[in-house]
Amino acid sequence: MVTTTSPARDTAPQPAAAGREAQTYQPTVDICDRGAEVTITADVPGARPDGIDVTFDDGVLTVHATVPARPLPGRAVIREYGVGDYRRAFRLGTGFDASQITAECRAGVLTVRVPRLAAVRPRTIEVRG
Amino acid sequence: MPTLRDLFQPPLAGLALPLEDLRDEFDRLWSTLATTQPAGPRPARRPDAAPAVNVSETDDAVVIEAELPGLAATDLDVSVSGDEFVLKGTRPGETGGNGEKPAATWHRRERGCGSFERRLTLPVPVDAARVEARLADGVLTVTCPKAAECQPHKVAVRSA
Repeated sequence: MVTTTSPARDTAPQPAAAGREAQTYQPTVDICDRGAEVTITADVPGARPDGIDVTFDDGVLTVHATVPARPLPGRAVIREYGVGDYRRAFRLGTGFDASQITAECRAGVLTVRVPRLAAVRPRTIEVRG
Repeated sequence: MPTLRDLFQPPLAGLALPLEDLRDEFDRLWSTLATTQPAGPRPARRPDAAPAVNVSETDDAVVIEAELPGLAATDLDVSVSGDEFVLKGTRPGETGGNGEKPAATWHRRERGCGSFERRLTLPVPVDAARVEARLADGVLTVTCPKAAECQPHKVAVRSA
C-alpha cells in the first residue's frame, strides 16, 4: 500500500528567499503498482533533471524539484498559478529494492520506478496435474 | 473536494455551451480560492487537462505562459487572431494502463489527460505574424508583439 504523507509533517514552510516566491507546491502525481514495481509519475513543469532530488529513506520516497524563477516581463494581466519548487513524500513501506530505484525527467514530467525485492514480488505458481 | 463540475451536470449538454464556459470559470475561481492557503506545500493545479495560464503585458508585447508537462510541441496547437488567443492540445494518457501490461493498481491518478482548449481574450490586438512560441521543460511561453497601432507612440514635443 502506498500512502502520501500529510503535508503538515512533510515539510516546514520554506523561508522566503530574497526577490522570489518561496512557495513550495505539491506536484500532481500518478502512482501505479504493477506488482514488480511501483511507478510514480509527477508533473514538475519548469524543473530540469539536474535540479531534482529523489531520496528513499526508511520506506519513504521523497521528491524535491527545484524550479528556477522565471518572472514574466512587464505587468501581470492574468495570474492563475505560482512558480516555486515541488516537494512531496510517499510512504511506500518495506519490500522495495532501494538500490534499483531509477528516476528520469523529461519535458517537466518526473518518472520514478521503485522495484520490489525479488523475494516479495507476486508470483504465479504453476499447478501441476 | 467535489468541484462545481461534479455538482452541476447540465441536463442538455448540447445546449449548454455558454453555461459550460461559466461553469469552467467558476471551477477556476473555486480552485484558486481552495488553494489560497498560507503555508506548506499545496496542490499545484487542479486535476484537469486544461492548463492554467499566466499572462503579462509589456509596452510592446503580451506574454502568455502555460505549464504543459509531458507535452511535445507536436501535441500543441497555438493560434492567434487579433486579440483572441487559442491554445489547444492533448495530454497523453500514458503511464501504461493499455491492457498489455500486468494488472495495475492505481493508488493516485491526479494528472489530467485528454484534449483541452483554452481561449483567452488578450488585452490588446497583437501582430499574429510575429508571434513566437517556445516549449521548454514542460513550460510553454508565447510572446505576442502588439499590433503596430497599439504600441505606444512617443510624441515629440516641439518648442514654439
